[in-house]
Amino acid sequence: MEAAWTGSLTGYLVVSGALFLLGVATILTRRNALYVLMGVELILNAANLNFVAFARFGGYGLDGQMFALFVVILAAAEAAIALAIVMRIFRDFGSVDIGRTDSLRD
Amino acid sequence: MDFMFVFFAALALFGGLMTAFHRSIVHSAFGLVGALFGVAGLYWTLGADFLGATQVLLYVGGVTVLLLFAVMLTTRDAARPSIGRFFIAVPVVWVLALGLMQAYQGVGAVLAASGHVPGEPEPTTGALGTLLLERDAYLLPFEAVSVLLLVALVGAVTLVRQRRGEA
Repeated sequence: MEAAWTGSLTGYLVVSGALFLLGVATILTRRNALYVLMGVELILNAANLNFVAFARFGGYGLDGQMFALFVVILAAAEAAIALAIVMRIFRDFGSVDIGRTDSLRD
Repeated sequence: MDFMFVFFAALALFGGLMTAFHRSIVHSAFGLVGALFGVAGLYWTLGADFLGATQVLLYVGGVTVLLLFAVMLTTRDAARPSIGRFFIAVPVVWVLALGLMQAYQGVGAVLAASGHVPGEPEPTTGALGTLLLERDAYLLPFEAVSVLLLVALVGAVTLVRQRRGEA
């Protein structure tokens, strides 16, 4: 069972780190508000993966999985609200380009 | 176990790459679906069977469907990565990567030194359910999250509601 790095904690941390960085890259390089949402989901999943990986390899029992479960629930609620806001922005500004939503700017 | 990890990790990372760098937003959304499936598979390889199933149900079956609806309703022109932002993104991502590597340095060694060996994965659904209903465990967060979901539901509907006579 103790094979190479693939089944060990390091493998999962590498994957979650990469997902986190991809989420950050998504948020930083796109102008569409929906891309920002997708990036946030990637980041949340990366953190969740960390929770569950440490729960398994660090002997923290089910607490890690429980935390991840709550994160999933909260992320779903947050996605619903965020998408409602995006729909509102689209209705009021005519576009979901985050550069166009600058009514508060001087 | 090895092959499963590699398969789901590759799925997750490929999905993430598609989300971050593909030209078309619909492709990116489906890349996100792949990434979320990959993470669910990684949960399964970690023994979190209930969590993986919940991930598929809520994330893949809920959030991505919502996202695709929003994409369908709001896309006017093709979304493309703003080229200038790569110059901001690359150093930020690089710094974060270095920070992560720094933070994770020695974690593996510390955990190995603690002598904990993960046992065989067991079904977690019953245990998680018991924890959710135990007063000294997660009962309060469980009830609070129920209220939060109700608030989110009402809030989302209120945000997009169109009154009669409004454009």
